[in-house]
Amino acid sequence: MKDISQSIKQALWQLPLLICLSIFISLISNYWRSDTLPLIGDWSMTAQLSVAGEESQVIPLDKAEQLFHKKTAIFIDARSKSEYASGHIPGALSLSWQDVDQGYAEHAGLLDASENIVTYCDGEACNLSHELALFLKEMGYENVQVLVNGWTEWNNAGLPTDREN
Amino acid sequence: MPGCRRIEKIEQMDDKYIINSTVKKTSQCGKFGLLFLLLRIALGLMFVYASYDKILHPQAFSVAVYNYQLLPDMLINVAALTLPWLELLLGLCLMSGAWLPGATVLSSGLLTLFLGVLVFNQFRGLDIHCGCFSTETTSSPAGLGTILRDIGFLAVSLYLTVQVLFIER
Repeated sequence: MKDISQSIKQALWQLPLLICLSIFISLISNYWRSDTLPLIGDWSMTAQLSVAGEESQVIPLDKAEQLFHKKTAIFIDARSKSEYASGHIPGALSLSWQDVDQGYAEHAGLLDASENIVTYCDGEACNLSHELALFLKEMGYENVQVLVNGWTEWNNAGLPTDREN
Repeated sequence: MPGCRRIEKIEQMDDKYIINSTVKKTSQCGKFGLLFLLLRIALGLMFVYASYDKILHPQAFSVAVYNYQLLPDMLINVAALTLPWLELLLGLCLMSGAWLPGATVLSSGLLTLFLGVLVFNQFRGLDIHCGCFSTETTSSPAGLGTILRDIGFLAVSLYLTVQVLFIER
């Protein structure tokens, strides 16, 4: 019995010691690396969509609003058709990511390769708009940008919306 | 240090009052001794191997941790930095036999945590790459096979923990 409680007592100090040692070693080794990882990383969607050195694919809300009022951009809603029907940015095309192949075939004629395109969906973590933007870029459209958390931000700013009946 | 062999010295007096002492080696644990040794070295090797790629590529591993969508953003990088080193230390302890009580408990705890996370993500329908043994995101995603493999490791670890903590030697 004495041996058993001794083992358990050993576990009680060895466990936190192992954890502390690994934290200590990891911080030191990280410090000395050439590509140090920041201790608190920027995991926001905006940071993820911005590749260092390249122009950011993200378009801020105020710029998107300017393009909307000047009518110099085409907005594309990457959400599902039903979500589009219950509310979307006026003039926006519905090209849901789920049915992108079919939807693209229908809409391709409407889009000019040099036009400004802004894709959006809903939610900070929503990936649909980003995927759609990449897809369109592959198809040869040069000016495609993403309005992160587009639908919520658009509504929060009190900007005009449309809905289908 | 838990061991499996006991050395007994048997002394006998024969007719001429001469003491014959023979040294008898007995294996106290029988076949379990060898099994224990093999399993702890194998599990230790697994942890060392698992940690290798992740220590070399913390950036890539932090993406894997992020994809699990379990930790708040602020903790992701610290977790991504610390976990591989913890695995390495664990592996070395298991292989060398040092600090076995702490190492086996920690190993069982970690593997239980991993199992919980894997099962939870299966329920969530999250189709992501495990990040278990490498930071390679082109390998197949974490699914049922990964869960079964983890259960296997956990079973081994629990066996070792019980042996170290509760079986007297």
